Amino acid sequence: MHETDIHDLSDDADYAAASKQGSSSVTRSDSSKRSSSSEPEDAQIVYLKDNVSIHPTQYATERIGGRLKLIKQGSSLVMTWIPYKGQSSNPRLSEKDKNLYTIRAVPFSDIQSIRRHIPTIGWQYVIVVLSSGLAFPPLYFYSGGVREFLATIKQHVVIVRSSEDANVFLVNNFQDPLQRTLSSLELPRSLANGTPSSSFRGSPSPSDNNNQETQLDTVNTSGSGQQNNNRQRQKTQDPARDLSIQVLEKFSLVTRFARETTSQLFRDSLVDGQGQSQSQSQGQGQNERRRNNWASKDHKPLEMAPIDAPIAPKDVPVPSDPLEFDKLSLVWGKPRQHPLGVEEWSNFLDYEGRIMDPDALKKRIFYGGVEHNLRKEVWAFLLGYYSYDSTYAEREYVVSVKTSEYMTIKNQWQSISPEQAKRFTKFRERKGLIEKDVVRTDRSLSFYEGDDNPNVRLLHDILLTYSFYNFDLGYCQGMSDLLSPILFIMKDESEAFWCFVSLMERLGPNFNRDQNGMHSQLFALSKLVELLDSPLHNYFKQNDCLNYFFCFRWILIQFKREFEYDKTLRLWEVLWTHYLSEHLHLYVCIAILKRQRGKIMGEEMDFDTLLKFINELSGQIELDPILRDAEALCVCAGENGAGLIPPGTPPALPIPEASMYQQQDDEVL
Amino acid sequence: MSYAYLFKYIIIGDTGVGKSCLLLQFTDKRFQPVHDLTIGVEFGARMITIDNKPIKLQIWDTAGQESFRSITRSYYRGAAGALLVYDITRRETFNHLASWLEDARQHANANMTIMLIGNKCDLAHRRAVSTEEGEQFAKEHGLIFMEASAKTAQNVEEAFINTAGTIYKKIQDGVFDVSNEASQSYGIKVGYGGIPGPSGGRDGSTSQGGGCCN
Repeated sequence: MHETDIHDLSDDADYAAASKQGSSSVTRSDSSKRSSSSEPEDAQIVYLKDNVSIHPTQYATERIGGRLKLIKQGSSLVMTWIPYKGQSSNPRLSEKDKNLYTIRAVPFSDIQSIRRHIPTIGWQYVIVVLSSGLAFPPLYFYSGGVREFLATIKQHVVIVRSSEDANVFLVNNFQDPLQRTLSSLELPRSLANGTPSSSFRGSPSPSDNNNQETQLDTVNTSGSGQQNNNRQRQKTQDPARDLSIQVLEKFSLVTRFARETTSQLFRDSLVDGQGQSQSQSQGQGQNERRRNNWASKDHKPLEMAPIDAPIAPKDVPVPSDPLEFDKLSLVWGKPRQHPLGVEEWSNFLDYEGRIMDPDALKKRIFYGGVEHNLRKEVWAFLLGYYSYDSTYAEREYVVSVKTSEYMTIKNQWQSISPEQAKRFTKFRERKGLIEKDVVRTDRSLSFYEGDDNPNVRLLHDILLTYSFYNFDLGYCQGMSDLLSPILFIMKDESEAFWCFVSLMERLGPNFNRDQNGMHSQLFALSKLVELLDSPLHNYFKQNDCLNYFFCFRWILIQFKREFEYDKTLRLWEVLWTHYLSEHLHLYVCIAILKRQRGKIMGEEMDFDTLLKFINELSGQIELDPILRDAEALCVCAGENGAGLIPPGTPPALPIPEASMYQQQDDEVL
Repeated sequence: MSYAYLFKYIIIGDTGVGKSCLLLQFTDKRFQPVHDLTIGVEFGARMITIDNKPIKLQIWDTAGQESFRSITRSYYRGAAGALLVYDITRRETFNHLASWLEDARQHANANMTIMLIGNKCDLAHRRAVSTEEGEQFAKEHGLIFMEASAKTAQNVEEAFINTAGTIYKKIQDGVFDVSNEASQSYGIKVGYGGIPGPSGGRDGSTSQGGGCCN
């Protein structure tokens, strides 16, 4: 197969790089045959293909090119895929990133199946599913060769084409139920339909697929710079992203099905989408049997797609199995990186101080956060106090203008005389409330500890000034928790104020009198849990916990009370990048809940017990694994997840027409 | 730790009246003026002994600010006792009692025992609500009343334990049917050594006094 003949890809930067790599590969492959010390003496390379790439994200700049090999070692066949060194079109893609995806000598005895995709237009790719249930990311054959790849395998290993899907090749195992299970991969639509509440997108029809592949190529050739500029547009309407999400969805199904298959649950019964639709009459009994299997084998499949029959928690012990979930995040969540440091930061700035590639910066911060001494500068961008395209000089000017503006607002309340205050109940109330709360905010921190601490005074002044700047919203408990880290980082009163103002542009609705901002987030959270873990959703439903009030504090103050102070700083800067989603915090909620789901359901927690349990997780949650899980969940939920979050749900900016901060009994001055 | 009964308590009242300090004084026997303000709800627990029976109090300490009322209301469900707290040095916290009471009546079990507490009685020199006014309000609304100080611990034990005593008496009098699962909706769980029914005699359960537990 030669896609290059069908569709010219020569203007695609990545493809060009890959081609270059390919042209010199023959000589190097010869030498590697002779001299590679990593391969034993009797090893023989039976297949070698250059320009086989993986696409970790939808961005063309992040593709990783590499070399695929089949090696015969004695009687066994192994597969390797090694990324090219230093050839990436994206200099920020570290070797470590690439190594993560390296496939090192996987014997075919560990491989469950190979699924090939040969679109009419676009690149061929294969998905290799391991017996362990894990699947490697799709391997894209930029220079063709899928058929040859499979033919070579066939010469050395017994592989069987699935009787129901000509594109699925089963390795090592060809029992009937398995074949049917794997072939059902093609039917996410029918799987999704199995759960009425599900909104999973169906599988594209072959013709849809072709269209989308074409569009994918169009986007690929448009170059990466443009993509960065169009992130917002891309997020909402980019067909390439849609497609990649679909691939991801399928991929998660692949992983899932393979795992279920290998756990032998399907040896005697088949209860996935196709099985059900083919044999409706047996469906119920099989559900029952599978449930029993779970109980008897103490095995719990990963709950990623909403296709499971609801588990009856009262009858079935729900084993906690964080390992299964870790596997998910190993596939989808990238490892956390070290925080952004001074030197690297300077590379993001041009000579006048503009951020050249804000999206790359946000992505970098998403994966690693920011070194502490850089936070003061970087947070001002993340929060929107500085604009990314401002120069050093412009920022200096902004700071001076904003400082005097702050002083003007502050003066509004400072100039209220005691006599005037006597007749100004609202002011006295707010001032009293703030005075009471600032002395109850992070006082164990050295920055705020001790009597007459000037920083506590600053918290007070900033909050009271904010309640004049945004008189309708005023002051509400929780705001001091949000301001404390900002002042701790910014130190300067005016800068802390304006950064807080920016944050409140997004989180202000959390504090509305009618709590509508909180309710919309809790609602979105319940929808996302329904999508990503329907048994847990059903459990909450049965136990009257669907209001998700047990997540109230998490969301109100962005997990401030759940992590140590420095971890909160890290989490916030990650959330503020809005990379992947503005609503990553909801996926963080789900990540935490998922890690506790076994306990929650196994111990049959009611509302009260659950609330107490969640409260007591405070200080017990490890941030990095949760962030990785949250990323994985966000990627898996994809567009479907985004579609469940109503527009304007905080921290998304409010919809312009919506009236903000309506207060019922606030009297107009 | 085994208990004959578990009572769920909820502490309500305006922000800054000392709800969390009362709880800490009761569970840990200490006064900590510098603590984080309560967001949502915090929990405390302690074992007490009434009539030689170990009783576990599980106490819900709620956020006081008006904005959080809608969520606080969901905590009333299944509370056996409530401590309604005001600050004797701030008149407005007393003025708001009626609205707190209305919430409690509306969202809690009708048989919930409510104890009215005028806190910060150590600050008598700044008193803005007289003891008589507190007594009068309690009488009008059928509440038990006490002035207390989380700082000096005055009446703190008494407030929590007297409330438990009242609930216990209601059980003895058959106000609550604790013989079945319905008891949980009254905020009462029967534990090991509990006596199902109003007229049960003493059993051999060990008495657990004073200690803290969670």
